[in-house]
Amino acid sequence: MRHVVNPLLRHRLMPLLVVLQVALACAIACNALFLLQQKLVPILTPDGIGAPDRLVMAWNIASRGKPWPTSRLLEVRQALRALPGVSAASVAGSLPMETNAQMNGEAIAEDTRIKADDAAVYIGADLVDTLGLQLVAGRDFSAEEQAIQYHGMGINDSGPTIITRALAHRLFPDGHALGKVIRIGDAADAAHRTVVGVVQHLMSNKFDADGGNVDYTMLFPGVPGDWPMPVFAVRAAPGADVERVRKAVKDTIHRELGNQLIQGFEPSIQMYGDMRAHALAKFRAAVWLLAGVSVVVLVVTLAGIMGLTGYWVQQRTRQIGIRRALGARRHHILRELQLENLLVVGAGVLLGLACAYGINLWLMRHYELTRLSWPYLPFGAALMLLLGQLAVLSPALRASRVPPVVATRSV
Amino acid sequence: MFDYYLRLALRRCRQNLAVVGLLVLTMAIGIASTMTAMTIFGALAGEPLPGISPQLYVATMDAREAVDKDNPDYKQPDSYLKLGDAKALVDAHRARQQLALAQSYIEASNPDGKQSDQVTGFMVYGEPLGMLGVPLRYGRPWTAQELAARAPVVVIDSDLAQKLFGSENAVGRGVLMGKQVFRVIGVTAPWKPHTTFLDLPRNQGDPLGSNEQFFVPAEAALAAGVGPLTSGECGKGAPVISFQSAEVRHCRWLEVWTRLDTPAQVAGWRAFLAGYADAQHAAGRYVYPPQPKLYGTRAWMTLNHVVPDDVRLNLMLAGAFLLLCMVNVAGLLAARFLRRQADVAIRRALGASKRTVFVQHIVETGVLGLAGGVLALPLTGLGLWIVRMQPVSYSEAARFSPGVFGVLLLLSLAVGLLVGVLPAWRVCRQPPALQIKVA
Repeated sequence: MRHVVNPLLRHRLMPLLVVLQVALACAIACNALFLLQQKLVPILTPDGIGAPDRLVMAWNIASRGKPWPTSRLLEVRQALRALPGVSAASVAGSLPMETNAQMNGEAIAEDTRIKADDAAVYIGADLVDTLGLQLVAGRDFSAEEQAIQYHGMGINDSGPTIITRALAHRLFPDGHALGKVIRIGDAADAAHRTVVGVVQHLMSNKFDADGGNVDYTMLFPGVPGDWPMPVFAVRAAPGADVERVRKAVKDTIHRELGNQLIQGFEPSIQMYGDMRAHALAKFRAAVWLLAGVSVVVLVVTLAGIMGLTGYWVQQRTRQIGIRRALGARRHHILRELQLENLLVVGAGVLLGLACAYGINLWLMRHYELTRLSWPYLPFGAALMLLLGQLAVLSPALRASRVPPVVATRSV
Repeated sequence: MFDYYLRLALRRCRQNLAVVGLLVLTMAIGIASTMTAMTIFGALAGEPLPGISPQLYVATMDAREAVDKDNPDYKQPDSYLKLGDAKALVDAHRARQQLALAQSYIEASNPDGKQSDQVTGFMVYGEPLGMLGVPLRYGRPWTAQELAARAPVVVIDSDLAQKLFGSENAVGRGVLMGKQVFRVIGVTAPWKPHTTFLDLPRNQGDPLGSNEQFFVPAEAALAAGVGPLTSGECGKGAPVISFQSAEVRHCRWLEVWTRLDTPAQVAGWRAFLAGYADAQHAAGRYVYPPQPKLYGTRAWMTLNHVVPDDVRLNLMLAGAFLLLCMVNVAGLLAARFLRRQADVAIRRALGASKRTVFVQHIVETGVLGLAGGVLALPLTGLGLWIVRMQPVSYSEAARFSPGVFGVLLLLSLAVGLLVGVLPAWRVCRQPPALQIKVA
């Protein structure tokens, strides 16, 4: 070990530059990968929508002056339901991937007081059928529950609710969510919602929440009152021509609501898949950007370590020759250089992890970022150590091929 | 001598082209990424109205007139006031200039309705053109009498005039907005602040905004059924959000902006505002302590996150990346220079001082830095093009400007010299005798 460490201490410049480089690369890569993972969350989380290629969404519909009365919205829904090739239709306050208007509430378990901030609330009629949600426990809303009339938006009213499995696990860790009560907010007169069903997944339409929350969602029956931006979802029956259904939906919306829309806003009548692609485009772009940055950082570091190690090995050709002449085998030289690299890169990694953590703390204070989760640190460290070994391989192999006879020459 | 070093540097750059290429490329990528991030940040974080916006202040206070407890949306006093309050604050004329405004988005057409367009603009109480520095091409701004008399007059921009009437000079023509024909009294040049800062609640997520194509007296507009884009804060509990409604009597919907040039004026207006708010609270109109505050343009933009966090994070990421590239290049340069220690030793033995050896190497790194800068130019263009392709609200800010070019040249020279300092110092440090012996 001594003969590996001593030269490092004697010629400090080269190892120091490697340490500095590795530390910087490690700090950047850890934070970039962490940001990347956060941007990946909404892309990778299942949205819970069944057969998305048969779902037509009508959104970006806003009323001019005052909101449409609920009865009017239900008439439009009835008209959509009656279109040929339509198997289900819903009207709701907001839906997954509809980011213009969001309804969120703080969900608090009545018994245990466990909280989930910013759970999305979708208030709408027949959403389980129309969206093709997978019920894993309990039941869908009954016909009477669906017929509820709200005076306000409905978020402050009590009644039944269907929640996602992720939210059920969060609020009721004992696994018994059915029949339990959730309070919406911690005000004294907060609404109480009784869980009647649990669905496998349903994505929130508020993406910028911290990582794990995009699957915290509650469904309320009925139609939100006094809500100026309704969303319609229409499911095409199996075998029906989806594009024709989409066109029919478009015509119906324009015919029914056209003259009361706010001026200059064109309603969007899209397939759910297109809407999803549109809503997540920003995240995909950020993922590409961050992935690109990470790759370039790693490549630059790789080239840097290779260049420096190459020079450093070349400078010690004579010493290596002497060691070979004194009986060191080729693999001894190889192992020594690899060990040396491990030490230098390891020092850089330790420094880099400390930096990455510090930077993350600073970012957390100034921006809405969450804490760098621990797995990123060892992952980043392993990545850098591997990179270092990769970079040293070629110079080390070259060094191990130095013939002992070099020692006798004056280089 | 410099000339000789320059030729020497160029000759050396031709040796070992692979390494030179790697050095230049690394610097270029680092510089280009930083330039891309800086261009976007600069475009968004600059003054929205150079020379004017630094003197503009917006007032916020808790002007709620009903008990509104547990409203999760109300976190701190906002900038919206009722028409009556806004008028009282503007009509007091306690600041150098003052106005109240709200963003509007309406359909404007010529009186026969043949030509029409959807346009954004402001409903204003006060005189906007002078205070915001909107350049007037034809006509005049409205007078205080016209404002008080709720005269149906409007100032439009030249694009709207062209679209509705086929010519820019539309003074005296009529524009149908809502239920009424407004007389055009002035035509402005196309105008918008570089970044949005007026009526931010109605402009969220749109940092670059669009041209403000009309200015109309607020009360005259309301009388014609023209309202703000959204109706603002309309009372207790869950507010009914409505769009383009002129029924805003019960709503807080106008922002009050003032122009204050000196700290004394700022203090004076702040005291006036506090006095007004306290009087309203004492009279029982405002149910909560009003906590009146003045925000400068810059502070107001920061508070409302006009520059998206992503833009700042990307700038930091790019800066850190440039630093990494610089350390990398410094290392490669050190290796490159130290390989030539024997040459340096001979020069030193022949009488070259440490200083001249240092200068010789610095010139070489400067040349490499400039080469990196030249290569960074197309790479920056590429970076900006990539950003423009992104589905982000600030993509239009990614435009190349002459200023960017200058900064890029300076940056690349600075980077080149900075990365050369350590290697050049290292190579000129060793005593000549030792090096000759080794060689």
